[in-house]
Amino acid sequence: MSATLKPYLTAVRHTLTSAMCLEHFSSQVVERYNKPEVEVRTSEELLLNPVIISRNANEKVLIESSINSIRVSIMIKQADEIEKILCKKFMRFMMMRAENFIVLRRKPVDGYHISFLITNFHTEQMYKHKLVDFVIYFMEEIDKEISEMKLAVNARARICSEEFLKRF
Amino acid sequence: MTSKYYENKSNARHDNYEIATPQLEKRRYIEALKLVLGNAPVGSTNQQVKDNALAITLKVLLAIKSAQIEEAVGNLSLDDIDILMKYIYRGFEYPSEGSSGHLLLWHEKAFNVGGSGSIVRVLSDRMRV
Repeated sequence: MSATLKPYLTAVRHTLTSAMCLEHFSSQVVERYNKPEVEVRTSEELLLNPVIISRNANEKVLIESSINSIRVSIMIKQADEIEKILCKKFMRFMMMRAENFIVLRRKPVDGYHISFLITNFHTEQMYKHKLVDFVIYFMEEIDKEISEMKLAVNARARICSEEFLKRF
Repeated sequence: MTSKYYENKSNARHDNYEIATPQLEKRRYIEALKLVLGNAPVGSTNQQVKDNALAITLKVLLAIKSAQIEEAVGNLSLDDIDILMKYIYRGFEYPSEGSSGHLLLWHEKAFNVGGSGSIVRVLSDRMRV
């Protein structure tokens, strides 16, 4: 299980480190305008090739980079219905509070469960290696968190049903 | 890289399948790997040709055992490592049973040789595989 986790995270870390070479870039279309190019896509030449790193069919990371921003989208493993709904609720909870996470995107990219948008302003204000660490830490923790929540839900259900069936 | 390099590449033979299959059958995987990387259709505009080349390259990559990866990577030139890296990332896009785990190993070994430079070239190079 965790045999592929470490190489997976290492591959993502190396790719992020290489991709996160961002600089300030003023728009070519509108005067005094500065938007993350990976989002607005005003010009083909500012975008780099998107790459995907996958651990299996259900777990992958899409990294799209451009001159002044990169977008990291994560697909989280969901084995069954409980995990699906837990993941959905949890991601919604976090994305509603996206400002507090600074690099979190308000909506995930199509087909993925959560996205980060890192712009040149973030890399200017924060250490690049810490940003990479944050994304990796997030990926590590999210699986753990969801399986813990699943256990908690199941334990609670067991106690509830025990209490309920005591009457009979 | 020079334009001469690209010229060579675009004129390279596109029948990767034919040249690598005999090597695969003889189980000389490392030679097969060199052949498919050396003849990668990077300059081609035909998506079908590229997909065929990807299929055969993935077959070679997955055929090489985990223990032999280091030796295989060590035998490649830096240009070939870049192309290998491109194929590894393309391979991630089509995950199948066990392929991703193996490609992750390839990625690690290729990174040890090529460093960040080869990843950056995957990101920025317009000559895609």
